[in-house]
Amino acid sequence: MLAEKLEASEFQFPYYQNTKELLDRLKAKYPQLESQNFSLAVNQQIVQENTALNGNEEIALLPPFSGG
Amino acid sequence: MSRFDRQTILPDFGIQGQEKLSGAKVLVVGAGGLGCPALLHIAAAGVGTIGIADGDTISESNLNRQTLYGQADVGKPKAQTAASVLQQKYPDVAFRIIPQFLTPENALEVISEYDLVLDGTDNFGTRYMINDACFLLGKPLIMGAIYQYEGQLAVFNYGEDPINYRDVYPHPPSSNEIPNCSETGVLGVLPGLIGTLQATEAIKLLSGVGTVLSNKILFYNLKTTSFFEIKAEANPEGRKKIPVSKEAFKAANYEINCGVAESISWEKAFDWTRNLKNSVLIDIRELNEEPGVENSEIEKIPMSVLVKDQTQIETFENILLFCKSGARSQKMAEELKIKFPEKKIFSVEGGILHPSSPLKKENHGA
Repeated sequence: MLAEKLEASEFQFPYYQNTKELLDRLKAKYPQLESQNFSLAVNQQIVQENTALNGNEEIALLPPFSGG
Repeated sequence: MSRFDRQTILPDFGIQGQEKLSGAKVLVVGAGGLGCPALLHIAAAGVGTIGIADGDTISESNLNRQTLYGQADVGKPKAQTAASVLQQKYPDVAFRIIPQFLTPENALEVISEYDLVLDGTDNFGTRYMINDACFLLGKPLIMGAIYQYEGQLAVFNYGEDPINYRDVYPHPPSSNEIPNCSETGVLGVLPGLIGTLQATEAIKLLSGVGTVLSNKILFYNLKTTSFFEIKAEANPEGRKKIPVSKEAFKAANYEINCGVAESISWEKAFDWTRNLKNSVLIDIRELNEEPGVENSEIEKIPMSVLVKDQTQIETFENILLFCKSGARSQKMAEELKIKFPEKKIFSVEGGILHPSSPLKKENHGA
């Protein structure tokens, strides 16, 4: 569902120092993200707090699904 | 000769694994797209006691994925129908029918009778409720969920330092964040696969075969045939939101109402703006978006601002929002409607691209 909003399922973005900066930039570029609930994973691990990045991480935005 | 011969000859499974299954009690909540395949496989494998909780009846549009039911079952109750189909196939399984939806009042009592719960429900409210109930009771919970072409699977409250749904998603989405409030499409095979994976983890957990998917969430994308696992750990913020006691759980409200925002035509939108007191027409597109609109009757408040700060609209009674196509303004209107239930909040249908839009500029195309 995030892929629909961002119109892509995968993309590269420039280096950001940490996950907060990355999310701020993403939300500025895609305001639709403001009204979307998702968790953030860095290298296949969910992060709860602002996390430092070195630029080579795989970041995943993970929305919850409710369908059954 | 027994119907379980082909699994009892498996080296790790054996007679012992079979005995564990036949002594087990499993509750499947939701006998729908996920529940049907999950029920079929745990019953076929010989789980001794299976509870089926569902208060819904079968409708024709269920039949592409709810594979225990056929055309002749339309209108019948799901829990009873699933139990009767499976009982006929597997007379050695004891089925318990719970022909109602779980609620905060009955969930703890129902769940406490079982060793393991499979969540195959179709809404966030029930998912959080089942999660919290299983957490309070210390019951392993196998969660399956789908959205269009994607699925999720996780095993909660099991293994070392176990996680639960609130460690992954601390709080339910607000109603405007829920696409499933209106029906979304799904290929039947997707819940078929995720429900079968739920049954697989159930059989592993009960029999002791293999390694259960704990402390992780598995994601599946049908279109790309890709699976990936994400690790998770306890989230204190999420855990604070779980009711502290069984009494608090019973009093908790898990209902999430879908936001309702009405749409309005361009003609009416301008009519209201000009003639109705305390009305405002707002362009919620970001400031650099094309086509630019210069019109003294229109306020410009980008969505990125409006989601954080509503002071500019607080004094208005009738709030009319538009964007390029009407999608964002609809979402924004729904969100504002939750914050300001007493105000009239509308989304201009079709936005700037609508054929009757006076703001459409041919040069900028569609």
